Amino acid sequence: MPPISRHSFSLDHLALTRRELLSRCGTGFGALALGQMLQEENNQQPSAYAAGSQNPLAPKQPHFPSKIKHVIHLFMNGGPSHVDTFDPKPLLQKYAGKELPGGNLKTERKTGAALPSPFSFKKYGESGIEVSEIFSNVGECIDDIAVIRSMHADVPNHEPSLLLLNCGDARLVRPSMGSWVTYGLGSENQNLPAFIVMCPGGYPIQESQNWQCAFLPGVYQGTYIDSKNTAIEKLIENIKNKRIATKDQRLQLDLLKQLNERHQQKRQDDAQLESRIQSFELAFRMQMEAAEAFDVSREPKHIQEMYGPGTQARQILTARRLVERGVRFVQVWHGAGQPWDNHDEIEKGHRRLAGQCDQAIAALIKDLKQRGLLDETLIIWGGEFGRTPVVELPKKGSNQGKINGRDHNHWGYTTWLAGGGVRGGYVHGATDEFGFKAVENRVHVHDLQATIMKLLGFDHEKFTYRYAGRDFRLTDVHGRVIDELIA
Amino acid sequence: MKIQSLPIAIAICLLRSAFVFAADQPAENERFFETQVRPLLVKHCLECHGAKKQQGSLRLDSRQFLLKGNETGPAVVPGKPESSRFLEVLKYSDDDTQMPPKGKLPAKDIAIFTEWIRQGVFWPARLKPSADHPAAATNAWKKHWAFQPVTKPNLPAVKNRDRVKSPIDHFILAELENRKMVSAGPADRATLARRVSFDLIGLPPTYEQVQAFVKASSPQAYENFVDSLLARPQFGERWGRHWLDVARYADTKGYVFREDRNYPDAYRYREWVINALNADMPYDKFLIYQLAADQVIAENENHHLHAMGFLTLGRRFLNNIHDIIDDRIDVVSRGTMAVTVSCARCHDHKYDPFSIADYYSLYGVFFSSNEPKNEPSTLRLEDKPKPVNVQVFLRGSSRNRGKAVPRQFLPALSGENPKPFEKGSGRLELAQAIASSKNPLTARVFANRVWGHLFGNPLVKTPSDFGLRSDPPSHPELLDYLASTFVEHGWSVKKLIREIVLSGVYRQASFSTADYSDHDPENRLLSRMSRRRLDFESQRDSILFVAGQLDQSKIGGPSVKLTATPFPKRRTVYAFIDRQNLPGVFRTFDFASPDTHSPQRFETTVPQQSLFLMNHEFVMQLADVLANRTKPTDSAEEKITQIYRHVFSRDPQPAEIQIGVQFLKASQQNPQASVLGSAWSFGYGAIDETNGTVTGFQRLPHWTGSVWQGGLKLPDEKIGWAFLNSKGGHPGNDRQHAAIRRWTAPADGVLSISGQLKHPSDKGDGVRGTIISSRSGKVSEWISQKNQTATRVEKLAVKRGDTIDFTTDCRTSPSFDSFEWRVNLKFNSADKSSKTWDSVSGFHGPLPKPLTAWGRYAQVLLLSNEFTFVD
Repeated sequence: MPPISRHSFSLDHLALTRRELLSRCGTGFGALALGQMLQEENNQQPSAYAAGSQNPLAPKQPHFPSKIKHVIHLFMNGGPSHVDTFDPKPLLQKYAGKELPGGNLKTERKTGAALPSPFSFKKYGESGIEVSEIFSNVGECIDDIAVIRSMHADVPNHEPSLLLLNCGDARLVRPSMGSWVTYGLGSENQNLPAFIVMCPGGYPIQESQNWQCAFLPGVYQGTYIDSKNTAIEKLIENIKNKRIATKDQRLQLDLLKQLNERHQQKRQDDAQLESRIQSFELAFRMQMEAAEAFDVSREPKHIQEMYGPGTQARQILTARRLVERGVRFVQVWHGAGQPWDNHDEIEKGHRRLAGQCDQAIAALIKDLKQRGLLDETLIIWGGEFGRTPVVELPKKGSNQGKINGRDHNHWGYTTWLAGGGVRGGYVHGATDEFGFKAVENRVHVHDLQATIMKLLGFDHEKFTYRYAGRDFRLTDVHGRVIDELIA
Repeated sequence: MKIQSLPIAIAICLLRSAFVFAADQPAENERFFETQVRPLLVKHCLECHGAKKQQGSLRLDSRQFLLKGNETGPAVVPGKPESSRFLEVLKYSDDDTQMPPKGKLPAKDIAIFTEWIRQGVFWPARLKPSADHPAAATNAWKKHWAFQPVTKPNLPAVKNRDRVKSPIDHFILAELENRKMVSAGPADRATLARRVSFDLIGLPPTYEQVQAFVKASSPQAYENFVDSLLARPQFGERWGRHWLDVARYADTKGYVFREDRNYPDAYRYREWVINALNADMPYDKFLIYQLAADQVIAENENHHLHAMGFLTLGRRFLNNIHDIIDDRIDVVSRGTMAVTVSCARCHDHKYDPFSIADYYSLYGVFFSSNEPKNEPSTLRLEDKPKPVNVQVFLRGSSRNRGKAVPRQFLPALSGENPKPFEKGSGRLELAQAIASSKNPLTARVFANRVWGHLFGNPLVKTPSDFGLRSDPPSHPELLDYLASTFVEHGWSVKKLIREIVLSGVYRQASFSTADYSDHDPENRLLSRMSRRRLDFESQRDSILFVAGQLDQSKIGGPSVKLTATPFPKRRTVYAFIDRQNLPGVFRTFDFASPDTHSPQRFETTVPQQSLFLMNHEFVMQLADVLANRTKPTDSAEEKITQIYRHVFSRDPQPAEIQIGVQFLKASQQNPQASVLGSAWSFGYGAIDETNGTVTGFQRLPHWTGSVWQGGLKLPDEKIGWAFLNSKGGHPGNDRQHAAIRRWTAPADGVLSISGQLKHPSDKGDGVRGTIISSRSGKVSEWISQKNQTATRVEKLAVKRGDTIDFTTDCRTSPSFDSFEWRVNLKFNSADKSSKTWDSVSGFHGPLPKPLTAWGRYAQVLLLSNEFTFVD
């Protein structure tokens, strides 16, 4: 017999054959620590855990202990302007309408003079971190938030930046962060998808590639939900039977069980047969649980009011209900296309967009906290890049000649983290005096990803998957953990 | 002297003086290096630029590496701090690169480095860097099994000669006997028929075929059965799909911004593959066409140009040429030879003997080929008039070019020094080098894939990576035997498959009395046949097939969208594959990812698969059809028997009939209520003015897709003009034919109604709207003529099952009587819950018909493990 692979955490060989994948991914009832798995692999004792569940989403332990069990990624797609939200730059006032002394960095389009923020900033919390008026509710939670003001990405274009942030590579087909996380941790609720992506009204640009599983098994792909809908059958595929009443379906499954047990009697213990039998029972329960999980009208009135009205509030409240039920990774996009992409009318646009989600985001933080869930949930807020502190110049067909918007800016922008393991009330890094470029304690997207992985209990350099002769990881060959962000 | 405790200025001063004596005092230099420079390097640099990692291809753990630098030039120039890139980066004076990334070093540390460089970059001789040679530089790979020439092995001796049905069995039995393991007995004929039928054509055998085979007395019965399957055109559909996994087939380009995403001719490539396999085209020729058909076809062979879809149907990466070529290099190298050459795009392969130069040798071949417009096949490539050698892209960056490399085959596989390609781009020469009997990989790789499809586990566990880090084959000699006979038999795919399925090991039972789950949990030694689950295609095709609905009228043809309604009945191989947004059902059932070359399918078991089978209309529709393949006059026993024959190709056992009869009894005792309980219904009827009631309510019989009306045409002979749509409708021709939107109370409670009745026309006498409760009679009425009027009802008590009718009549004349009447209902039930309805979103067409008890029974059989697994 050839030796069993001793390859450290990479589970790729597990994935290569069903039996390996399924038998090693977890045991029937509890999680099997990766360390333990590794040890067993090295001892070449696969049989020690071969008899367990075949479920690829069984809960698993990361490299080292972590309190965080869930991730909610609030994706402000299109690119929110950092100088209008979480990175105040009063000096822009002084230069209003004038050219910046150092000139403008190259971004996607032509830009002109300094454009001061139309919004006022105020200090919040004990930390006294300044936040824009359009996120005043989030401001109230600032002591639970670590604001990274020195983010930077590679290029000022949506498509590559979205892929870089979600999948760690700007062009090539790589698994998304949510796929990695559910691959590494499984899920705590087998009656709901492990990785759920909500985006109201349709896809963001680059579409489902943003939550692709790439070369990981299909079960780790994000489950897309058009959160514009409320009816459960429009949210999750095949969740409701239109032609068979529940009690009749129960009779069907009882018959199925009877037939499957007869079939199995004649075959020696075969975990794959057993696991398929179980999966029908799981599916039956999922029908009830999913409908319940997505029905925010079951929330008491004061909770509904806390999140406020509208689609954003509904999907953010849904996100809380999902993590509360053990869903591992929830990505909440602001809307189809690129809503935050205010090349013009930044004041109107940003006020409207922030107005849609500010209350609900703050409610999410407070609500998780009051339920004792904030410690075990990591919240990520941000876009694929920020926006220029200078005005975008008019161009036919792009900003309608209004000269009151901002271009994409990958040189420097803000992302914030909140929740379990995150150092609250902390500002990390800084952009230059105008907010054009990250200059102090710069954090590249790969560094953010490395830090997120660390928070979740993974060494991002060892969390790999062998495919096509290479050990792939979310951060490719890059990434540096920003320890300062970790409490 | 503890320099670190002194102020910087003094420190520098002391250092300078130290330098003066450097020649005589190497110890002082070393001391400075060890106490000052080295700690800084270790603390700030070597984690990313040392022996383990070389970010930016830069190492800073020896003088030699510092002088070498990376492709941007040397890191340091001894004696010249001002020309040293290293210091520039430390000083954060460069926009792109600023090190260390955590923050600028204090000025005193930078001063130490500056001084060290000024002094000449002293490095103690004994501190040698650790060895770090790329694989190609050593000769270890030369002994790797996969790179050895294929030789036909002698057959190992076997004791149990009666088990031997083919030379293949020698290799399997010898291994088992060595370990004192016994193999399972032969499978029974019915099992074997089902197994080989799924394996060869992807469909189950019919009951009659199984019976004929079971009863056949000829000693050649099995051979005949196999040969008949190999001759079926469905063979090409089944095995063509296996190849399409290799070829990362899709009908779309992926994300290309606003450009048309479709590859309208993609299906022609699929058709070519299916036809080639059906014709048993030799595999070497099969490959040569796919890589270079443009260079080998005769004049009347344009259809072979479609073969080049293998290269051209990849993802388009927003039309980035480097990524497109990378995808082509990858599909060719992993797909045909199981070598991961794409790993060498940015640097030499870490483990295998492929250098970055080798990668760009192949890159040059594809860079010298392009896709001509207006050609008989949109899938083809052709050579550019002037082929070029490209320069290596250092670290994979097109802006950072190294030396130009010749277009040539991979040196590790050429057996001698490779000769640069001479004909055009070299694509044909590349194809020939791959499809060569001398290539140590090509035949092995294909034989391994075929074995994997037939046994569930390939001999080499990583079918697209035969590199140094792959596990060796479970049966190395068997793999060589298969590869060498494959080539001997003229690369005939059908002969290879035939030889394997005729072997004793393939014909074993899938369960045995001996339990080796401890020794061989994956059954790699094949002491029995492995039980396998149907893949996505076989599962869907079988459901259609057993229901008698599979469309097998033609082979090939354009793609069909599986999610369209009515559901297409063609085989799943013809599914339209949108690689950008692949419908969920494909991923749920572990379909091969069409993003890049797919080595092997995953096999997961997740509840989403069950949900599809339990709830998707496709499955229920076919279960219904399957149940109706019996005659209504048949007895329950007879019906069950027939359904069993269709689904499992066998007769049910008495106990199974019994179980079925019990289920049907229980189900029929429990007649199904309306599943989708809608509160709304749409009809017409008369208003009894005296009693304030509705009489003779009838549902409007015809649904147009958006409107309920009397018949296909308006006015209907019987019902006249009456119709209802989501917003309103039209009353019938008299008061006996009012249009009625009916709401039925789901519980006891109190109802409030708001709404607007509108008569938009500026002609006619308008309409009358009346709300009538089955419990309390007429509630209220309104007239709307050329205007709109609010229709409000406060607090109307209802009991469960009461109807509230929103009736609209024509008053005296039905002319110009189109109306709109939107109503909102707010319902507070007795248990204090509240719910709202509105007439617009509540409007619906015919509700799905409940599935009959027989349909539900048939569906369960389609969900069963017996249907889904092959022994």
